[in-house]
Formats: sequence, structure tokens, C-alpha cells
Amino acid sequence: MADYSFNGGIVIKNPYPVSKVEIIQAPLPKKIVLPLQQLGGQAKPCVSVGDYVFTGQVVASTKGSFDVPIHASISGVVLSIDKQVIAHKSGLKSQCITIESDGKDKWLVNKNSGVDFLHYSKQALVEIIQKSGVIGLGGAGFPTHVKMSKVLDCHTLIINGTECEPGVMCDDALMQFHPRDIIRGVEILLHICGAKRAIIAIEDDKQSAYQALSMFNHNDRISINQVPTKYTSGAEKLLIKALLNVEISSGKFAVDEGVICQNIATTKAVFDAVINHKPLVSRIVTVTGDGVKPNNFEVRLGASFKHLISMASPNNKAHDYRMGGMMMGIDVASIDIPIGKTTTAIFVNNQAQKPIVQACIRCGQCSEVCPVGLLPQQLYWYAKSKSIEKALSYNLADCIECACCDYVCPSHIPLANYFSFAKALNKQQTREQDRINTARERFEFREYRLERNKLERAQMMANKKKSLKEKMANEHAQKQKITEAMQRVQQAKDKNDGTNI
Amino acid sequence: MMAPIFSSTSWMMRQVIYALALGVMAAYYFFGWGVFLQITLGVVAAIVVESAFLALRGRDVISSISDGSAVLSAILLAISIPSIAPWWVIIVGVSFAIIFGKQLYGGLGNNPFNPAMLGYVFLLISYPLQMSTWQVDFLSLSQALDVIFDLSNIDVISGATKLDEVKNGLPLSGSIQQLDPHSISQAWINAGFLLGGLYLLLRKVIFWHIPASFLAGVVISSMLLWVSNTDLYLPTQNHLMLGGTMLGAFFIATDPVSASTTPKGRIIYGFLIGVLIVIIRAFGGYPDGIAFAVLLINMTVPLIDRLTQPKVFGQ
Repeated sequence: MADYSFNGGIVIKNPYPVSKVEIIQAPLPKKIVLPLQQLGGQAKPCVSVGDYVFTGQVVASTKGSFDVPIHASISGVVLSIDKQVIAHKSGLKSQCITIESDGKDKWLVNKNSGVDFLHYSKQALVEIIQKSGVIGLGGAGFPTHVKMSKVLDCHTLIINGTECEPGVMCDDALMQFHPRDIIRGVEILLHICGAKRAIIAIEDDKQSAYQALSMFNHNDRISINQVPTKYTSGAEKLLIKALLNVEISSGKFAVDEGVICQNIATTKAVFDAVINHKPLVSRIVTVTGDGVKPNNFEVRLGASFKHLISMASPNNKAHDYRMGGMMMGIDVASIDIPIGKTTTAIFVNNQAQKPIVQACIRCGQCSEVCPVGLLPQQLYWYAKSKSIEKALSYNLADCIECACCDYVCPSHIPLANYFSFAKALNKQQTREQDRINTARERFEFREYRLERNKLERAQMMANKKKSLKEKMANEHAQKQKITEAMQRVQQAKDKNDGTNI
Repeated sequence: MMAPIFSSTSWMMRQVIYALALGVMAAYYFFGWGVFLQITLGVVAAIVVESAFLALRGRDVISSISDGSAVLSAILLAISIPSIAPWWVIIVGVSFAIIFGKQLYGGLGNNPFNPAMLGYVFLLISYPLQMSTWQVDFLSLSQALDVIFDLSNIDVISGATKLDEVKNGLPLSGSIQQLDPHSISQAWINAGFLLGGLYLLLRKVIFWHIPASFLAGVVISSMLLWVSNTDLYLPTQNHLMLGGTMLGAFFIATDPVSASTTPKGRIIYGFLIGVLIVIIRAFGGYPDGIAFAVLLINMTVPLIDRLTQPKVFGQ
């Protein structure tokens, strides 16, 4: 068991339990859609419409340190490169590559398989991970190679095997069915980051997964640690607190403390990349909810939600769809959107009446469950009135938007939504303030420049005037002298004339 | 231990109303039907006034009324005033509580003061005679109707409360002991509210902080006074079992809207109210001080909340 814990959080039983966790292979999709937008910017396609691509072939990449290439997850022909609806809160369209399957699933042949990873340098391994398109598969999608190369003096590697959300079972399934690969993946990650030890964290209600992993773990640097099944145990900083009793400071990251966290599915993907030389082209997705028969499916990336939901024998009622999880997931209107690397789960629920939102009575249930120790009842007040500065002084920035407060709120206020809105507003205001500041600086400099020019010109004019005056005075004096001389000459002449007479 | 998850705010309000039942039954046992008549008048007035105001403000009447907060405020005020008070007293009080105590601030959740206590203080200052005449005997329904609606000239044996008697009798007798500061009826009523309060704690509708620190404030300050002069000051057990101590500790000070909302803040808040009640009872002009103490400390809540923010993870 974990030695420590953190405050707050809530115990939420899986609302859609299954008798046995499985992984069902979803059939090859007829068509896949690969969004080009990534953390590191928009990827550039390196294929054109009409090209034939193999499974595992790179179809797009970016330049830069965050680059994670995008691989074709089926073999077939590039159908189009255009804007499609993707899984995003906004529902906006984004540039995507669409590939039509030829149904043969022909893989790009890899030559150098079967080499012991210990023979590779760390750089080489990081490069393999990068080239294979591995990112954090727990939901955040941070490029794994960046995380692995960023850390200095890593002492502990934490493998996060806690499901991020109640009802999601994809990591549980992975641990039960691929324990050997996961342990091997942990060893690779240990080799890369040079940590002394690795801890695999599993929730204590996942006994089969725990036993499966324990059976294959013969490495004394790897320990398997059970943590209480409590929602938000999966949040990186809170998991580190529960395992190591280390509190990562606000605004800092785990890597700053010499700790690296990797998700279980990411670890498996690292194994596939390094040992099998297989790029990331599929993932395990939980399809659950009261509108379907809950299960896990291994599906090719880019397949549509619809493709996968049809596998889970949905009922005929009207459904609400949600991606990610019941707590932090996002509602999606359409199911014609592609499954991405961070799609952990799809919730299909029968449409139900939403509870009425009542007034906040400051009962304080929310601050009891807040794992970060915030006062959501106060934050709500400020977020609602858009008093962002006040909200920031109540530590708005530390909110992890886990929605525990939403879950317990007797007035059914969507608190986490308010907070994410306030954060966005703050970002926008800061940006606007920056812009205003720049504009003001520019304006002030222009004023200063104009003033300076004016002064300079006046000075110049004055100087010119002065020199002109001097010149004129000189000339005047000269003339004076000449006339005086001429007069003298005249006088002399007159005198001479007189004497001559 | 994990916090329970409540289905709705209305559910919480209903739990508080149920928890009042024991104390109300005790009051009925000693004072009769007047108690229920006051509650009925208060609840009807609350619903009418709140609906009218919500309609005026252009809000959804049904969903706001159904949160139960107006009904709860009305019941709290109705059981705080004498059960033989004329019918208009409770109506005026409830109307003031709802309009000036709640709706003018923006409705439920926005009021800085406890509405029921605001109504109580308003009545106490405006109608001191009606607010300090308590009856002694059990009244039947028809008797209660007669008295409250002033239908016929019947004589009801009335008097002051025990705290009143003590306050007024002390300068004459010079010693608390001679006054016999015990009251069976008030002890039972307080016991009823104590049990109801424990039920709320058990259901976790209220947190322990406010009642515990409230009672600690009463016990500590009354003990210190009593030790300093046993003739002048009431013993601690009388402070606990007279007046509205238990009602205040479990039902009035715990109103979450006007109370402090941080764990540490709740302890400070409750304690200050407890101390202030004893000070008002011992040195103030009024026999009981729950309403004044609650309203005064309500004012300090924004400051308390600001100064008692809990530690945030990673800071």
C-alpha cells in the first residue's frame, strides 16, 4: 500500500461495472482521419492526395523539439487533406489527413528488430521513442521524448497505473493482458532516465492487474505499489504525494524534483517502439455508459467514434456522448470524429434530464473534497463576477479542474467550468494587457521621438539663424570697411584736387 | 471518512426542517398549539412574500421556492418568538426577514446576515412588549387561536422567560441562587434541539466546527464569569439549557450562507458567537443575545474567511 495520502478527493465506484475486463480487437476501419494539430504546432503533411501509404508510414511531422510524427494507422490511399471536425470542445474544424483503407494492413517493413535495447545509447532510445510517435497516453498528450530528455538527476520513475477517471478500464486491461511488455517498458524507461527505482502505482481495487504485474516483475529496482481507489489519485502531483510524500510546489513540475511520471499505456507504447519497432498506430479505448455494453477495444488511431461505438452493442435510445471521462471529459455533439492518441474512453449515456442548478449556499462540501485545498465556494463567487484578480488571490491557478466539487455540489453548479472559464479569461486579459502595454510603450516612444525631432529641428534652425546672422554681420562689417576705405580714398582725392588748383 | 453526496440543496434544507421536529415537539408539550400556529402563519407568509418578490425580480418562482430556504427561515423565526404573540407579529417578522434579509441582497446565497435573526431583532426592537410576553401554561387549539387572533378576552397566564426573570430579579435579590435559575420547559426544548442537531451532524448536513466552538465559547466564557462571582453570574449549565442556546448552536449559527466557510474560520466564528452570547446575557440590555451575537459576527465573516484560507497543495 502507498505509505502516504493526500487530502480531499472522492471515492466513486465504477458506475458501469463489467464482470470481466477484456480487450476486444476492433476491426480495421474503412477510413481514418488523422488531425495535424499537435502540442508543437500544426504538422506538415509529407504525402499528397492519391499517394499510397503503408501502415506505420510517417504522413506528417513538424520541425522543432516537440515534434512527434504522425503515422498512417492503416495501409491505403490518401483520400484528402482538408478541414474535418475533430474531438475538441469548440467543435471547430481542423486540418486532417484522411486515408481510405485497402483492407490489407500492409506494414512498412522494419529491418533492425530484435536488438537488445541495452546496446542503444540513451539518445538513440529517445530518438526511437520520438520517431515512433509516442506521447503521454493518459490524456494530457505531452511528448514522451521531451519528458525523458528534459529531466536532470531523476531519482524516481513513477508509472501511473491508476485510471484517471472512474469507469475507465483501459489501463486495467492493459496491465492484465500485457504485464510482461509493461515491465519491459519500465526497464527501458529506467535505462533512459537513469533513475534508481521505478514505482508502478495501481489502485487497490485492481487486484488482477496487480497480481499479473507482480508475477512478471523480477527486477528489484521496480516496485508495485497499491494506492487507495480514490478519484484524483491519478493526478500526477497528487500521486507523487501519495507515493513519496513529496509535494511538488505550485507552478513547478515533477521533473523539477527529479521525478518522472509515465502512464501505463505510454510504457507499453515505449516497449512496442523500442523492442518491436512498431510506431504508435493503435490504442486501447474504453467504451462505457448505460447506452452500451461496456468494454475495452484496441482500435487504430483515426477511426471514428461511431466505428467503435457500433462494436459495443449500443441500445436504440437517444444518447449523450462524452470523451475522456465522466469527471474531466468533454461532451461531444458528433460521433463522426476521430479517435486520437489521448482518447482514453468514450461514454455513451442515455439522454437524461440534467438536474436544476440552484443557488450556492456556501455549504462547503466542495472545499472538503478539493484535493488541492482550494475554496471552490469562494472562487465560484469571484469567477462568476469575473473578478479575476480576486480569484487569483484565492489560488485559481492551482485548480486542476478535476470536478470533484461539481460532483458533490448539492446545488449542481458546474464549478469546474466556471474555473476553466475564469482561467481562460485571465489568460485573455493578460494577453490584452500585454498588448495594451506594448501599444502604450510604442505610443509613448513615438511621442518622445516626435518631441525629440521637434527640439532637434528647432535647435538646428536656431543654429542656422545664428550663423546666418553672424555671416550677415561679417558682411556688413566688411562693407563698412570698404566704404570707409573708399571714402578715405575720395577724401584724399578731393584734397589732392584742391592743392593742385 | 468521505463526505456524503447530497442529492440537492432542497434536500439539505428539508433535513434541517426535520431535525427541528424534536425541539418543536418539546415546545408544543409545554406551550401547546400556539407553537404550531406561529409556524403555520410564518410558513404561509414566507411563501407568499418570497413568491411575490421573486416574481417582481423576474425569477423563476417555483424552482426558487422549492429550495426550502424561505420555509426554513420562517420556521426558525416562528419558534424563536413567544408562541402567544399576535398573528401580525410573525407575519411582519417573516416579511422583513425575507425582503430585507434576503431578497434585497439578491436572494438565497447572497445575504450576509442570517435572515431569521434579522427578522427577530427587527421584531424585538419594534415590538418589545409582544416579544417578551411568554405564556406559562399549555394552550389548547381554541385557546391559542383566541389569543393569537385576539378573538375574545381570555386570560392567559403569561410571564417572562427565565433569562428575563434573572436579568430583572438580580438587582433586587443580589444573588443568582435565590432566583432558582432553572426551567424544566426550556431544558427540554434545548435538549430537543440538541438531539436534532446531533442528527444533522450524523447526516453531515452541518459540520461539527460551528456547534462545537459555539458551545465551547459559551462554556468557557460563562465558566470564567461564574468563577469570578457565583452570585452575579449564571452557572454554565443554565447558560446551556436556557434561552435559545442549542437552537443557536445547531440551527442558527450553522446557516452556511452567512457563516464563515473555511474550517478554521468556522471554529473562530462559532466561538466568537458563543462568547458574545454570554457577554450580552451578563452585561447587555437584553435577556438573551443569540440574535445580536449572530448578526454581529456575521459582519466579521468576510474578514475571517480572508484570514483563514486553508493551505493550498504545493504552496
